[in-house]
Amino acid sequence: MNENPYQPINGEIVEIIDESPTIKNFIIKPEERFKFETGQFVELTLPGEGEAPFTPSSSPAVTDKMDITIMKAGRVTALLHDCKKGQKVGIRGPYGNGYPVDDFVGKEVYIVGGGVGLAPIRSLFLTLVERIKDFKKVVCRYGAKTPEDFIYKKALFGEWQKIDGVEIKLTVDKADGKWKDHEGVVTTICDKNDVDIKNAVAVICGPPIMMKFATFKVLEFGFKPEDIYLSMEKNMSCGIGKCGHCMLGKYYVCKDGPVFTYDQVKGYPKIWD
Amino acid sequence: MSRMKTVFTSELKPLLDAAAGQMELYVPRKSGDYYVYAKYDPSSEREIEFNNIRACTPVKEFLLPGCELAATYPKMAEPTEVKPFAVFGLKDCDLRSIEILDKVFAEEEFEDPFYMERRKKMFIISSDCSNPGESCFCNVLDGRPYSEGGFDLNVSGTRDGFVIEAGSDKGEDFLEKHSHLFTDVPETLLAEREKNRAKTQSQLEENNAGLKFDASAKEIFENSEESDVYDVEAKNCIECQACTRICPTCHCFFLYDTKQKDYFSKMKMWDSCMRMAYAAVAGGANPNKILGDRLKHRLMHKFVYFVDRYGLNMCVGCGRCVDADAGGIDLREILKKLNEELKDKGKKETKVAK
Repeated sequence: MNENPYQPINGEIVEIIDESPTIKNFIIKPEERFKFETGQFVELTLPGEGEAPFTPSSSPAVTDKMDITIMKAGRVTALLHDCKKGQKVGIRGPYGNGYPVDDFVGKEVYIVGGGVGLAPIRSLFLTLVERIKDFKKVVCRYGAKTPEDFIYKKALFGEWQKIDGVEIKLTVDKADGKWKDHEGVVTTICDKNDVDIKNAVAVICGPPIMMKFATFKVLEFGFKPEDIYLSMEKNMSCGIGKCGHCMLGKYYVCKDGPVFTYDQVKGYPKIWD
Repeated sequence: MSRMKTVFTSELKPLLDAAAGQMELYVPRKSGDYYVYAKYDPSSEREIEFNNIRACTPVKEFLLPGCELAATYPKMAEPTEVKPFAVFGLKDCDLRSIEILDKVFAEEEFEDPFYMERRKKMFIISSDCSNPGESCFCNVLDGRPYSEGGFDLNVSGTRDGFVIEAGSDKGEDFLEKHSHLFTDVPETLLAEREKNRAKTQSQLEENNAGLKFDASAKEIFENSEESDVYDVEAKNCIECQACTRICPTCHCFFLYDTKQKDYFSKMKMWDSCMRMAYAAVAGGANPNKILGDRLKHRLMHKFVYFVDRYGLNMCVGCGRCVDADAGGIDLREILKKLNEELKDKGKKETKVAK
């Protein structure tokens, strides 16, 4: 029989980091070397319980381990949140198309993210930073609900801000007493003067409602639909364009995405639902 | 293509016995008003049934079982071998549904190994349809009541017996191997076969005379974005999912994990896009919460998205969903209504243009 696409490879959770009250970062060691491109996703199996799709949040340059940052949102993710170090897992993939990083060369990359959407963005960000000189600059606009909802806090508030060629601005929907920075949804820290729109691409990842308004915002700035990259969230299951759950018009998000340009999907109904 | 071997037999039993001698054979059996498939037993005294219409059950059952083991872990299980099998009495609509499933499960980039294994082991003995049912409307979707390809053997009933045509090397080998069972076909019978086929085709056209459209099915559905047909029809839907189960081309499946005694397994089970939580993601977002939207997605997939992707309709006009639908939703009526709406839209646009 041919290779079985439904067969997971074995792995183990080697470390769990609490990122926010609802988000944990799981460092997973696959039994065999595991390669992926930034933006592609994997199906992570909790043995006997179920599997769910996640875009790894680590750099693809690391192939012996992989970070998967998970928000407690449904049945499988809640069970994963209860797991301890040493838990065995299964991994299928990687699936789909990631970010076409080579197409970004020579351009400004305008990243707009929200909430756990920073997970795939972190993988992209680390990929860009590894060859930062290839890009004009990398501009990040990132929002979280409250200051404690930020993930990767140490890097986000510290080392990433110091990288030459990187400009980061943060905001929270609701500030607390200690938060001195901006308050408001992420689109309120997006300004058309942030980037040279004619020579830039926009990358948007976050909750659907945030992606919708961020997309409209950058369109308003003058970004062309084909220069806006979206990481779509649908119910990806088989990962190979067969089971049907993640259909978005003629596309299977698992196989043709999860990264799409706005131009590809804009004609279809309910892309944000 | 050079013409394949065509032979004649006055009786079906020797042919079926020969097939059953080589592999497991499934044949249609009348059950109430419909035919369903059953394993053929050569020793049985039961009369051979030649189905003049497609069976009730879809052919996908032979290729995508309702539930199957997809993987075991942490240790991979030895794959179970599929024995060669034959299915007798498939109609052209059934063969077209296999062509559609092939597009998805045999696509080069990601083959489904379970489907492929069964597909390769399947020996297709199709037969001409000579008595299309009330719900059959294959002719409206470019179908025919007989096959010109896609089979290993095809059987056409004639006055004195059966004309058997090979459609593949496997089929030719079979006829070769069992040549003692067959005789040459008299030219008159070939002519009769053509006459019979034309007669059934006209019968289909007559039955479906009311299904005349002003555009292709794809255009009709593409223009239905604003239509309320889906919500109106959905009022009759009781969400039984029979339409997707019985549809020979619906192929959605659900992957789930189970705990066994000393291992885990991934199972693959038929699913239905008419199910409420079908497209829901963790956290509760669901693009198709509304039943009418699910009905719309189902039909848009069949007539628009699948065509865009694979170049053919994902509906063969077999009418099974019409027969099965407990709520009385009739795809033909939806097509008619949408066609009327398209026509009205055309009229309005012409008016504006004037």
